[in-house]
Amino acid sequence: MNLTAQNTAIVVDSTADLPDAQAHYPNWRVVPLYVNFGTDSYKDGVDLTAAEFYERLRTSPELPTTSQPTPADFLAAYEELGAYERILSVHIAANLSGTFQSAGIAAAELGDGRVRTIDSESASVAVAMLATAIQRRLERGTTDEEVNGLVERYLREHGLLFTVDTLEFLARGGRIGRAKAFAGQLMHVKPILSIREGEVLPVKRVRGNRKAFQEFIDALETNTRDEPGLRVGIAHADAPERMAEIEKMVRDRRPQATIEMETVLGAVIGAHAGPGTVGCFWFADD
Amino acid sequence: MTGLNGDREAVERLVDAALASLEANRARIDDLNVYPVPDGDTGTNLTMTVRAVADAVDHTSAASRHSLARDVARGALMGARGNSGVIFSQIVRGAADVLGDTDAPAIDADATARALRGASDAAYRAVRRPVEGTMLSVIRELAEEAEARAPGRPPLGELLLDLVRRGEDALARTPDQLQVLKDAGVVDAGGAGLVELVRGVASAVTGEPIPEPPPIEEHLSHDAIHQELSQFRYCTVFLIEGQDLDREALEEKLEQLGDSLLVVGDPSAIKVHVHTDDPGAALSIGTDVGTIDRIEIANMHEQTLEREERLLSLVPDAPPAQSGVVAVVAGDGNRQLFESLAAQVGPISIVEGGQTMNPSTADLLRAVQSLDAEEAIILPNNSNIVLAAEHAAANADRTVEVVPATSIPAGLAAMVAFDGSRTAAENAKEMREAVAAVATGEVTIASRDVQMNGIPITKGDWLGLTDGEPVAGGSDFADVTYAVVERLLSEPRELLTLLVGRDGADLDGLLDRIAEAHPAVEVDVQEGGQPHYHLLLSAE
Repeated sequence: MNLTAQNTAIVVDSTADLPDAQAHYPNWRVVPLYVNFGTDSYKDGVDLTAAEFYERLRTSPELPTTSQPTPADFLAAYEELGAYERILSVHIAANLSGTFQSAGIAAAELGDGRVRTIDSESASVAVAMLATAIQRRLERGTTDEEVNGLVERYLREHGLLFTVDTLEFLARGGRIGRAKAFAGQLMHVKPILSIREGEVLPVKRVRGNRKAFQEFIDALETNTRDEPGLRVGIAHADAPERMAEIEKMVRDRRPQATIEMETVLGAVIGAHAGPGTVGCFWFADD
Repeated sequence: MTGLNGDREAVERLVDAALASLEANRARIDDLNVYPVPDGDTGTNLTMTVRAVADAVDHTSAASRHSLARDVARGALMGARGNSGVIFSQIVRGAADVLGDTDAPAIDADATARALRGASDAAYRAVRRPVEGTMLSVIRELAEEAEARAPGRPPLGELLLDLVRRGEDALARTPDQLQVLKDAGVVDAGGAGLVELVRGVASAVTGEPIPEPPPIEEHLSHDAIHQELSQFRYCTVFLIEGQDLDREALEEKLEQLGDSLLVVGDPSAIKVHVHTDDPGAALSIGTDVGTIDRIEIANMHEQTLEREERLLSLVPDAPPAQSGVVAVVAGDGNRQLFESLAAQVGPISIVEGGQTMNPSTADLLRAVQSLDAEEAIILPNNSNIVLAAEHAAANADRTVEVVPATSIPAGLAAMVAFDGSRTAAENAKEMREAVAAVATGEVTIASRDVQMNGIPITKGDWLGLTDGEPVAGGSDFADVTYAVVERLLSEPRELLTLLVGRDGADLDGLLDRIAEAHPAVEVDVQEGGQPHYHLLLSAE
């Protein structure tokens, strides 16, 4: 079957940090996770914008928790996309959230094989940029085999580095993984982290933000060529000046690259990584 | 008890009972939650899911058993919250599919067994990589128990009580199946929720009230007390000894002070457990009637914090170290900085020493050989110790690299690049680069008269050095230090580190001056505690 943007829809969850995706792509839907402050529950990016979330995080006496969308939430999105013959549902790593599981149950409930769920094994812009890479192929016409090949190559080749101001948020949410080795250090030590197969991994540590960003760029340079097909995404949690600094460095060292996405980490990822988090993602596509 | 009508009222009654049982245990189950991801809270999520089932039963217009079952399954699916709620929705669905198609007038042991098998199969199907020691193993064992008992056609109530026992047993074994639970000293939260649900259903069928958890009578200690969330701050436990103690009267008085009350024992000795904001008042109630002993008062808010730390410690530790560090360090503060940079990254052995206290080759060798690591890196942190470090490296029983940091701040910069999972050679390369990227300085008191750029510095004056060379001197500490800082920041730098020596240093005006002249530079001031040098500096 020839898959196109007219016959194939894309569903992402709100952790892809693209709240206005549907405005850009009529065949997309974003299914929100939930953010809870005490007993107040909000739909990520719908009832609570990223800006409102960080404001609330600063003032709230209790720390937020999050929960995955219900299978019913996904079912509603899939049913709303009834006019499409196929749905590709692209999500945050199954190891990091139960979101992928909810999507899978909803897909099975639908029972007609229309929905295919894809585990990005990553989060945030990494999910969004996998979905947009699929979208580019849909727009020119593609096949299941080509999408499979893309996803496999993406899982193997994409790069993601990020740094947090404190590892407390990752630890509290149970998502610190082996990066625990970098916990609790003094002296402006910044952990450089990555996500592989849905696990947060420690890469190295440096002192100071600028050194951290330098590491991002060094890794980008080591692993990529300067070409327009090199796609870069940058995301930040309430730290736009840091994103700007990284963007400048990327433009300086990889002038031909396409900076495809610059976004604010939404409430769910923000709740688990903490304010000040900033990350850089890259993937060489066409 | 012959069985159960498949009608709506019966379902309503069972769901309400399951919900009540779960709600009573919600907070306790929340606190158990460690696996697989603490995404929300298990007790709360399960409660919300079952509530959605109750709502679906309230609003159903189903005319047949089949469509009632479908509405129940749909309700669970629609309301599923969190990981456990989602799996639970599949359990409901599996059971509902079977029961909805049963023709028997009443649900009997055989139908129950088939329903539980359907529930177990549906739950396993929902999870990509099923893990034992979770809700899954509990539902599977429930199915196995029901299947084993069904041929004997036991009354439904009896079967359900047996299922509660089997569920409790399966739950108690979850820590043996899943290490993360064992390490945390908890049972699986989702499984615990499932047992409470079955307990609620069993109580509705038998007409018996939901049984209390077994009473704790002997050796009551903090560890034995289930960790439930309490609005009160202090968990207070004590023993009252006396004659003709009136347990009920004590219970009545203590009840007014808080919750989670347990008053157990005999007229000569009574153990009290209460969560209260006023432990003093509780103890007074005891001293009014007897003598009190074995008093334990714990701040539960702190316990909650401790629990968080405990959970953090569950994350698997780093693999055994490939390499470790021997660092020569003077000053308690500096020692702590080195240790903090090694914590969880790799082993470190600190050798006391520095400018006037050079450790011997033998001291360094001993430290290398004490490291629990296959290879070692030595940070001499002083130019006078580099040679001894090289001798130690040549004579050690393992591969040793010397990273010739010649000051404490340079050694700290090297430590940031250290990673015990790499070989000494790999580390040494990165650590040497880190040392090369840092400019260091020190401020001390001149121990003799010196000439510097033609300017005489008198013994007893302040002397400022960068990378070992004198650059400033004089009687004003702030001026000399500022000259050193200016020299260090003459190239673009991001981070200035100041390690204050044992004899202290007045930095007030100086820090303002630096902030004004170099607004982009972050300044990190640490208590180093080293002798001789009032201030050690580095810029990177």
